[in-house]
Amino acid sequence: MIEVHDLVYEYPAKRALDGVSLVVPQGTITALVGPNGAGKTTLLRCLAALEMPYSGSVAIDGLDTSKAPRDVHARLGYLPDFYGLYDALSVRRCLTYAAWSHGIAPALTAAAVENAARRVSLLDRLETRAGELSRGLRQRLAIAQAIVHTPKVVLLDEPAAGLDPQARRDLSALLLELKGAGLTLVVSSHILAELEDYCSEMIVIEAGQIVGGKAVKVKDIERPRYLVELATARSDLADFLKGAGLDVAEADDLHAVFAFTHNRAARAKLVRDLVQAGFDVAGFGASTKALEESYFAQVGKR
Amino acid sequence: MGPEFRRNLWLELSTQRMVLALILLALVFFAAALSGRDGVTPAAVATFLYYMVVVIWGTRSAALAVVGEIRDRTWDAQRLSSLGASQMLWGKLFGSTVYNWFIGGICLAVMTVHAAVHRGPGAALMDLIYYLAIGLIAQAMALLASLIAVRRRQSHSRTEIFLYQFAGLLAAVAVFAVWEAANPGAALLAKVHADVVPWWGEDFAARGFLLVSLAVFAGWTLLGCYREMRLELQMQNGPLVWLAFLAFIGLYVAGFDAFLSRDSLAAGWDAVALRLGLAASTYATLSYVMVLLDPKDRVHFRWLGTQLVSGRIGAALMGLDSFMMSYIAAFLSSAALVAYLLTRLPPQSASAALVAAGTGFLTRDVAIFVVMHTRSARQRGDMSAVIALFALYVLVPSILDGLGMARALVLFYPQPVLPVWLSPAIAWVEGLAVAAFATRRIALTRAPAADG
Repeated sequence: MIEVHDLVYEYPAKRALDGVSLVVPQGTITALVGPNGAGKTTLLRCLAALEMPYSGSVAIDGLDTSKAPRDVHARLGYLPDFYGLYDALSVRRCLTYAAWSHGIAPALTAAAVENAARRVSLLDRLETRAGELSRGLRQRLAIAQAIVHTPKVVLLDEPAAGLDPQARRDLSALLLELKGAGLTLVVSSHILAELEDYCSEMIVIEAGQIVGGKAVKVKDIERPRYLVELATARSDLADFLKGAGLDVAEADDLHAVFAFTHNRAARAKLVRDLVQAGFDVAGFGASTKALEESYFAQVGKR
Repeated sequence: MGPEFRRNLWLELSTQRMVLALILLALVFFAAALSGRDGVTPAAVATFLYYMVVVIWGTRSAALAVVGEIRDRTWDAQRLSSLGASQMLWGKLFGSTVYNWFIGGICLAVMTVHAAVHRGPGAALMDLIYYLAIGLIAQAMALLASLIAVRRRQSHSRTEIFLYQFAGLLAAVAVFAVWEAANPGAALLAKVHADVVPWWGEDFAARGFLLVSLAVFAGWTLLGCYREMRLELQMQNGPLVWLAFLAFIGLYVAGFDAFLSRDSLAAGWDAVALRLGLAASTYATLSYVMVLLDPKDRVHFRWLGTQLVSGRIGAALMGLDSFMMSYIAAFLSSAALVAYLLTRLPPQSASAALVAAGTGFLTRDVAIFVVMHTRSARQRGDMSAVIALFALYVLVPSILDGLGMARALVLFYPQPVLPVWLSPAIAWVEGLAVAAFATRRIALTRAPAADG
């Protein structure tokens, strides 16, 4: 859905992106992470065809951003890190304007507005002025404006910044719903724990380059990651798991992280097999820090 | 009705604001009608209000049309919309000023009825066109100035917004001045009043000529806004429109040769030389204006260099900045003038040398702007270049002149000295040296990779 090839973007005194290449598959939520000043926002703006690259190419849904920027814009929803709303307009008018300006026909506008408002749980506030909404509700309205035209790709820059825990949970649910509807999402954030809830891929960017040269698969919804811990070190732990046909992400003598099925019976059998093979199993459960672990494993590898 | 215009209607033209304006205007016109004082009539008050609301307040509204969106962080969302550049432009230009035009329209109705009753329908129609033109040109110029500033990535401090408004007001003053110059009854500019305008050897009725000129310049201003808006929406502009403007402005200004006095430089010049001189001067002036206004983006310069080095001449030509094309036009028209002066009998070497020297110093000055931009931030770069030019043209020559070293002035600007080749030789050595330095600076300022 998104293909970037050898992208270079320069500011007058600094090269912000230096040969970035990546592919974001359709129907995924990809985390774009990296230290401050790494080039995350610049990359998102290049993906959104808001900045033209010095060299290289960006294709969204097969369209080159430098050759057909307006066609790309029609397929995109973008939430910048600092966004504004028309405070004097009601939620309905904000969404109506967004729909019209994205080319939705007048006859279809009301339905599109209500659909977007329903998705972000703002249906009951359609007549409220944007300036009267709380921060969390403003965030929802901004997202609704970005998705009112049902884009194929949604880019979000620090969408959870400043939100309270409940609003963050709602945001996670919303993003998963959008993914479920077939949208492709790229989310830039510092907050790895929050990204953990909904991202399946991760792109680590550091000093204008993709660390490791490609996106890293951090979570498979169908095959989540599990962590097994041993009380007594065994150097053959990884070999045993691989021999059982498991996809081992990382392992040492005391623990291993691997992808495995949701199926409870299969998991129970695996634990039994480990114990029968003489492994001193001290713990077994879902790995909840997959993205964070991957991030710290990647940063500095460039 | 476009979405952008509709949104502006929601924001600007609420029922409450319209009712308030209607009540206030009714009271003001009623008070003027009752006043009985000389010059205080509803039409006179309407004229004053029109200038205040449509020209002064309207230029501010237009200046804020895009800058306000940037300030309120809504511009990126608009840039990502599906609206075309023309739809966005009209929506911004007329949408942001719709309340001004609502009030101005009422004033205009009062003024037009008064003019029709007292001076006839013809005069009323001419006035109507003039007032609409001055409002539209002033607002479009303010919007254009703001869009240029947006491309330069400087835009929304109060001072900057005032500068965009000021650009619109300057355009309004220019429109007012040329219109009044052809007004037989005007007291303000009576000394320069003219009934006819000689242009390309033909005499034209002044008011008709000026009205057509105003309409054409309004068209170019709107076209400029449209092209700037295209850039904001990430569309690419080719060089053809700017080249067409250069051709137009060169031909337009060259037609005014009858207004030139035959001073020492132009002594003995025929109409062809005078017209070439006018065109060259216009292009030189445009080069200075555009090199000041263009972003002078180092990254773009490097990109142009890459295209040229790799033989992609077509891409490089498509990416030329306005100041580069203006400079090339100035160079070519000056070269044509020099050639014409030297091939006439007798050859006019002295004035040809001055023209050649002027082009050399123009080269130096344009290169100075580029060099200053490789050394500092954008606004400081322009300011440094302006200060450098002030020193080169005013400060240092004044000191040298005061010290009795007038012969050294040839180092700073065109001077009629012997041998005649000396002034152009010095100018071109300086010009090429600074241009070479600028090119080297651009190459050396290759950006390092981001460091986190």
